[in-house]
Amino acid sequence: MALKSAIRNLRNNPHLLFVRLPNLLSFLCIIVGVVWLLLLPLNEYSRNTYISENALLPGQVHAYFTGSEQNIFRGYKQELEGLLNVGQKSEDGQDQVELTPVISNKIRSVFEASGLKVATQKYEYKSAGITHEGENTYGIIHAPRGDATEAIVLIATWKTANDELNLNGVTLALTLARYFKRWSLWSKDIIFLITPDSKSGTQAWVDAYHDLQPESVQPLPLKSGALQGAVAIEYPFDHRFKNLHIVYDGVNGQLPNLDLFNTAVAIAGGQMGIGSNLQEMWEHDDSYEARLQTMLRGMAKQGLGYATGAHSSFMPYHIDAITLQTKGEGWEDEMALGRTIESLCRSLNNLLEHLHQSFFFYLLMQSNRFVSIGTYLPSAMLIAGNFTIMAIALWMRTGYHEDAKSDMSSDSSQSKKKGSASVTSKSGKPVGLNGPAVAERLLALPLTLVTGLHLLGLVPLYIFNTIPHQFFTTATYIFVVVDIVLPLILAVLLSNGLGLSTPLVPQQYLLIKSFALLLLGLSLSTLATLNFSLSLTIGLLCAPLSFITRSDCSSNPQRFALSGLGLGLLNLLSPPAVLLGACQYTGVSVETVLTEAAYGWDVWGMWTQVVVWCVWWPAWLIGCVLLGSSIF
Amino acid sequence: MISLVSRSLQLLLLLLIACTATAEHTSNWAVLVSTSRFWFNYRHLANVLSLYRTVKRLGIPDSQIILMLPDDMACNPRNAFPGTVYSNADRAVDLYGDNIEVDYRGYEVTVENFIRLLTDRLDEDVPRSKRLGSDAGSNVLVYMTGHGGDQFLKFQDAEEIGAWDLADAFGQMWEKKRYHELLFMIDTCQANTMYTHFYSPNIVATGSSELDQSSYSHHADNDVGVAVIDRWTYYVLEFLETQVTSANSKLNLGDLFDSYDESKIHSQPGVRWDLFPGGEPEGRLRTVVDFFGNVQNVEVENANATEPGSLKEDLAEIAKLVEKWQRRDEEYSAILNNSTQQTENRPSSSVHLNQKKTVGPTRMTDESSWGKRLVGLSVIGACTAIWVAGSYLGR
Repeated sequence: MALKSAIRNLRNNPHLLFVRLPNLLSFLCIIVGVVWLLLLPLNEYSRNTYISENALLPGQVHAYFTGSEQNIFRGYKQELEGLLNVGQKSEDGQDQVELTPVISNKIRSVFEASGLKVATQKYEYKSAGITHEGENTYGIIHAPRGDATEAIVLIATWKTANDELNLNGVTLALTLARYFKRWSLWSKDIIFLITPDSKSGTQAWVDAYHDLQPESVQPLPLKSGALQGAVAIEYPFDHRFKNLHIVYDGVNGQLPNLDLFNTAVAIAGGQMGIGSNLQEMWEHDDSYEARLQTMLRGMAKQGLGYATGAHSSFMPYHIDAITLQTKGEGWEDEMALGRTIESLCRSLNNLLEHLHQSFFFYLLMQSNRFVSIGTYLPSAMLIAGNFTIMAIALWMRTGYHEDAKSDMSSDSSQSKKKGSASVTSKSGKPVGLNGPAVAERLLALPLTLVTGLHLLGLVPLYIFNTIPHQFFTTATYIFVVVDIVLPLILAVLLSNGLGLSTPLVPQQYLLIKSFALLLLGLSLSTLATLNFSLSLTIGLLCAPLSFITRSDCSSNPQRFALSGLGLGLLNLLSPPAVLLGACQYTGVSVETVLTEAAYGWDVWGMWTQVVVWCVWWPAWLIGCVLLGSSIF
Repeated sequence: MISLVSRSLQLLLLLLIACTATAEHTSNWAVLVSTSRFWFNYRHLANVLSLYRTVKRLGIPDSQIILMLPDDMACNPRNAFPGTVYSNADRAVDLYGDNIEVDYRGYEVTVENFIRLLTDRLDEDVPRSKRLGSDAGSNVLVYMTGHGGDQFLKFQDAEEIGAWDLADAFGQMWEKKRYHELLFMIDTCQANTMYTHFYSPNIVATGSSELDQSSYSHHADNDVGVAVIDRWTYYVLEFLETQVTSANSKLNLGDLFDSYDESKIHSQPGVRWDLFPGGEPEGRLRTVVDFFGNVQNVEVENANATEPGSLKEDLAEIAKLVEKWQRRDEEYSAILNNSTQQTENRPSSSVHLNQKKTVGPTRMTDESSWGKRLVGLSVIGACTAIWVAGSYLGR
């Protein structure tokens, strides 16, 4: 009975039902979502990694890449070093040596001497006014007893992801090619790919491998079977190394199968005794803080969705790939790295089908600890859900006459006395059992406005992906100003009914907010399944949008002050402002970030900007317009 | 006289029956099955090939071994030693060798084919090499290995055989007289659950691990890159290779099963005796070579058969007839006594029959035996005369 009466009370109290309860629920969703995320690094919520795929058998084979192979390695290295233009040193003293055609030919001849089939591919990309061009060289070992239907790729980029000269890495690839060629146990072809850089070369190559290259990229003259996995090698210094840094993030936050990462960790740690790091966490003590930091760094990379290494370009084609970077000062030499890669190749060689057993959606917090999508997804879903809850509540609320609330509060005692028999109307309005009357919704203008503002997002998307890179910083500052002015102009226009009709009624403002939040909630919950981190980040940045509303009841000075303050704070959360803040915090120049972003859009097929300009920015703009409209 | 004959016949029958109960088997068959394919299951094929090698060593010919291998590890491109399969990291013995006959290979290894093989429900055009030609005198060894679970064994990732399927297959084999005694061995996870449902007699079953237990591999070869043999099979083979050195070995199943060492096998092997006549005490006495070796015993044609027309059947029929005659005899004498006491002519069928029966022998005695004897004598005499004359003349 108590429950029944509670429900009846709720139904008879629209203010509680449509204003206070959704606010409370939305707020709870956000809080629970954040707390959920913070709980993930705990032992109770994360899991130890394990190898799911039986076929991999990591570290079960003895690796023979030692001894005389080291002499070969030194020989190749000397040959390559002789071809470097040492005079071309840049002002900071570092070798700034490009992959010249001479070196390219040398690599080609080394591959040919080892008995590989070799081919080259020229490519050229233009993005943000910069031209990226180069020539890929690759050689194929055909599996002596296998069918040529599958292949593994070993990549050595001439320049690492940090733009260092990767001489040891390239030499190791050449040595391994010669060494692998002599084994007869390969079930898959092995492709050795040498690219000039780790940003564009692999992208051009993998696009062309699947015949999806743009005009400016040459098709591949030589191909093999379906690519099963790719490993990139980076060894950009001459001293011995201590640890392996495994980079696994792909474009758009796609990740390689967890089995590949686990295999690399298991082989490095278990067989070779080399420690492995991830997400640039050099000192990981497996504490809660370290785990959380690792996870957040991974999420930041995933959310930004850019290519973190030569391996990243393979991910969109569902080819699992990682980069192995040597780090630190230790006692491991190139032979140890070679054996690790040999063992890794033997494991991949054991595969009978594409890696599929383990997770594709995961957050790593230590080289042997992860959470899977089932555990972490509710976090982003709750945050995205808060917008949907609010949108539905607003939709319901707009279905009632504005004066119903006051009606109800004043008449509640009366209607209680009359009991449920009073279904007749007072003052001619139809009053149902639920109390308030049903209002007609004025949909045309809110729908047009919300759709229009979302389409308006295409303008900055186009601008930021096409203008030359020198103008990026200026454009960002201009856009900050636009973001301050545009909502106010729109608010003025709206309060005048856009010059078309009478000023907007409060219901229309609520509908605008409802549609904006509905779209935001829908987009973010969809996005959460694809790129959890991006969805969560944008969800958190948009969280205030659920709670701001157009106020018109309080006194004028107070209203102005509140709205002005709200607008100011909200402007701090605008996309360009957040970008400037983040750049300030990390010390990266805005131009670099935006050049990278434009490059991502043009070359990698990165979708982060679309989400920012067509999901986040319109929702933010509408929030500002609503707040601004309370001034006018 | 009739009673004497009947008694002797009964004795003969009893002897025969007792004989079949303890009779030695007359042939040996082995069905060796690996059920998993793929490179990383190398060890399962190595298990089977090791056992194949052992039974061949102990005398079972290839024609009596059905070898089912779902994959070809020797020719797998991942094999660092092409054309070979080893079950030990020392790589002393190449199990693939020069003389291996695989009867069912690749995708032929299916549950259906396995059950059809056991129960002989095969098309006429299936060659002999793919048939289990065992009969009521055959001792059959069935060895299976692969990936299994509670009461099932996976076949090739695509299907599985259940414990009941296997029990029914053996049940049908018994009904169709396709084995004399059967030793069932299985090495898989939760192996012992596979023989829980067996119901046909004369089966000894043993498995590598109990319910909810895994069976483990013994060791891996670092050059081949995979585990090469399973623990239980490894230790069974160790016993067979080191103890059962010849086909004349007197070691029995008891010795084999006593050699199980749980601390080495890392799981609890099981043995099931209750289907065997005489249970464990009797079963333990069966020698290992009864199942792993071969016998050359000569079989009396149809000695143990029981179908219509066989000797056993005839003897039983005769015994029944003798009994019937005896009864009739007694009845007749009783009737005779009665009739002498009461009335002379009594139109009873039994008397009529008896009269008829008495006519039979008289008829036989009526034949002129003396005449026949004379004919016989004269023929022999003539022959002798010809012989004597021939030998005299030929001199």
